[in-house]
Amino acid sequence: MLAATIGCELRSPGQPTWGADAAPSRWGTSPVFTTARSSFGQAFREFMGSHPTEVAQPFDFSHQIHLSKGAQCTDCHTGVEQGPRAGLPSINTCMICHSQIATERPLIKQITDMQAKGIDLNWNRVYNYFPESHVRFDHAPHIRAKVECSTCHGNQAEQTVARRAVNMDMAFCVNCHKQKQASNDCLTCHY
Amino acid sequence: MAEAPMDRRHFIKLTAITGTSAALTACGNPENQIIRFIPEDDLVPGVATWKPSICPLCNAGCGVIARVMEGDAEVFRNGQPGVIRMGLAKKLEGNPDDPISQGKLCVRGQAAIQITYHPDRLDQPKKRSGERGSGQFTDVTWDEAIKELTAQLDALANAGDQKSLAFLTRPRAARRLDLIARLLQEYGAPAPVAHEMFSDEVLRRANAISFGSHQLPTFDLENTRYLLVFGADFLGTWNATVAHSAAYGRMRQRAGAARAKFVYVDSRLTQTGANADEFIACRPGTEGLLASAITAEVGRIRKTGTSAAVDLPAMIAATGVAADKVTRIAQEFADNLPAVAMIGGTALAHTNGLASALAVNELNRVAGSVNQPGGVSFVSQSPRVATRHLNELLQGDAPKVLLIDDSNPVFASPASMKVADALKRTPFIVSFGSFIDETSALADLILPDHSFLESWVASAPESGSAKAAPSSFGPVMRPLYDTRSTPDVLLAAFRGLAKPAAGLPNSFEEFLNQEPASQLPSPRPQASGSRAQAPSPRPQAPSLEPQFAGDATQYPYHLIPHASAAFYDGSLAHLPWLQELPDPMTSAMWGSWIEINERKAEELGIHQGDVIEVTSTQGSLRVPAFLSPGIAPDVIAIPVGQGHTNFTRYATNRGVNPIAILAPATVGDTGQLAWAATRVKIARVGDPDKSLILFGGATRERPEWAHGRGDEH
Repeated sequence: MLAATIGCELRSPGQPTWGADAAPSRWGTSPVFTTARSSFGQAFREFMGSHPTEVAQPFDFSHQIHLSKGAQCTDCHTGVEQGPRAGLPSINTCMICHSQIATERPLIKQITDMQAKGIDLNWNRVYNYFPESHVRFDHAPHIRAKVECSTCHGNQAEQTVARRAVNMDMAFCVNCHKQKQASNDCLTCHY
Repeated sequence: MAEAPMDRRHFIKLTAITGTSAALTACGNPENQIIRFIPEDDLVPGVATWKPSICPLCNAGCGVIARVMEGDAEVFRNGQPGVIRMGLAKKLEGNPDDPISQGKLCVRGQAAIQITYHPDRLDQPKKRSGERGSGQFTDVTWDEAIKELTAQLDALANAGDQKSLAFLTRPRAARRLDLIARLLQEYGAPAPVAHEMFSDEVLRRANAISFGSHQLPTFDLENTRYLLVFGADFLGTWNATVAHSAAYGRMRQRAGAARAKFVYVDSRLTQTGANADEFIACRPGTEGLLASAITAEVGRIRKTGTSAAVDLPAMIAATGVAADKVTRIAQEFADNLPAVAMIGGTALAHTNGLASALAVNELNRVAGSVNQPGGVSFVSQSPRVATRHLNELLQGDAPKVLLIDDSNPVFASPASMKVADALKRTPFIVSFGSFIDETSALADLILPDHSFLESWVASAPESGSAKAAPSSFGPVMRPLYDTRSTPDVLLAAFRGLAKPAAGLPNSFEEFLNQEPASQLPSPRPQASGSRAQAPSPRPQAPSLEPQFAGDATQYPYHLIPHASAAFYDGSLAHLPWLQELPDPMTSAMWGSWIEINERKAEELGIHQGDVIEVTSTQGSLRVPAFLSPGIAPDVIAIPVGQGHTNFTRYATNRGVNPIAILAPATVGDTGQLAWAATRVKIARVGDPDKSLILFGGATRERPEWAHGRGDEH
């Protein structure tokens, strides 16, 4: 925290100074330098180990509606079967269906406009690990081992905006690895 | 958990909360306001792919592979800044399938990734708005910029003055230069002007005379049994260092008697010299004399030498090397065939550089090492593009329109050549640089190039591999900013002329794909003064006697401004990883230093880090002293690369530029700058000013004032 506190006072080289009269950063990102965090608030929250359960999203996307219409998780969260991370869909993914379906809804009109302007939805990640945990998670082998998405992400059919329904601490991972007789070697996850 | 006793972690947390709760409210979280663009490519998140490209930093042309993964990049799209998820190059390595890099990469190549993401990279075209050199530019669109360039070219063409267009670039065996030369030729302008501080033109010229090959040699280090090197820092900065290092490694790993011996001759111990079995210090500029003496001995032993009478004792005396050592080296050289001799770097930068190179070529010939395994050979190549020398631009009428691509002659030429003045006389200058530097700051129009990872690249390395290895690759990633590939901009401008040349390709990609390098019609403009492709052999050998600028009594020291392991010729000083790189021989970083013989320094009362004033006939500079046992007492050395006055936040006003005080001496018969031919005097002018920073371990740097003076901090 000491480092973070000092960090709030320091600036990375070439960055504008913090203040009312200072020019805004070229990219609008935080001009505050903290140790490997984009903002002081983020550094603070992560230091306190606080994962928010609710994460604000660009709009109240309903998982429940989409799953009830027969959509699969992997339709939008692509890459989950091939690689370590589950993708967050771009607006182009939305428009695969919504160029035809429910086009009259105000929200759909809004995202149609955004796509025309080339602007994407700014999704925020709900599940993640802090860098200090030195944990690497790879989705693909879990999918291959037939672990259900809901095991770690809760039943999305009951959720509108995704919440952090499962607290994925180390015990959670280790228990499941024990049950499934998967490796519990440290280096399986911490590398 | 609530009942847990107060431990250190909780205590720190609580202290932090109480201490910083006020600060928290002040620090917002502005990430949510960033505009995010729709991704343009389909990526599997978290999965890396490796894409091939070519390192652009020197002429070696190493093939690289870039690790590309998805990431959020700050970009320009439709004139608007924002964030996009895209495939980003994250790491460079050597391409295992490339015969030059062989899967390895030098330290400069590793840092090349920073060019693309440099915070001071130009992100869109700029037009000068203030006085020339004031550094004031306004943003313009590409349409406006290309229209302006085309209008200037049309104005020249309408006046029938196409000869007043000049193009200044770096000498490269690359398709990019082929395209430039072709565009100039079809427009009617003279051949491009090539400028590089550490040009190897002297060696090419010598090879043309000795072997009929106007190109750099390739050495079969792997199979040689005796390697004799004159001044060529071939493992650090000279020629294809990665290919050399790989072959050198294999040469040294042969066991027992088969392990080759490596002898290094120079007036200063370089990174390469430090690897040698034997280091021979010779007087500056006498490398050729030493080579001639060894040649005479080898010729006598092998009975293959010429019968030309040489005054061997006098030659040996001039070099400062003991006579018995010379005969021993000659005997070893003759006994351990295949043996090969190499010359480069400082040895070619004296006024007798051409004669020295010819002497070493003769040694290889006498030893029977030319085009033999374990010897020296020349890769078959398409002819090099004819280029002109910088002097042709400076002397005579200034061009009316000057295009500058990847060259910074204002920094990399002696102040006495007055390059900046010549540029100021030029009415219209266009720079294609990605950064503001001393030269592009004088431009009227800056049309920033893509980084090499964002554009089509092509290379035809002239040495380093026994077989020719021309290659071309597409972009590794999409462009971050509103930049454009320079060959494409040139094509757009020249195609947009009122009377465009027929048959120009639509894009650089088309140019690369349509005309394989071997079938390229060699553009050879007939401009007066152009260097011939392969000069005819000279009737008489040039003199081996070196000349020096500056009187020996008034200026007693030889100044060697050597290529820096980090910045090469200074064109890489803007990359912070390289600023942070400790020099392999001195461990100095983030600055300049002057290397002085430690006994000489003791004699002069100079301590490590003391401020030294170095004065030549052309000017002076102040730089901290580094005491070294590996340099001759009458020689001082300053690395080239620092001392930029205007080159991004990392390099500006850091260290000194020794090129500035060089005398404009030239290597005889070539017109190339003899950058090692300047004499200087030195004087201690002050106590350590903390500008000498030596690497002090993995976690800290130690200012030199705290080093060895009893006042350890």
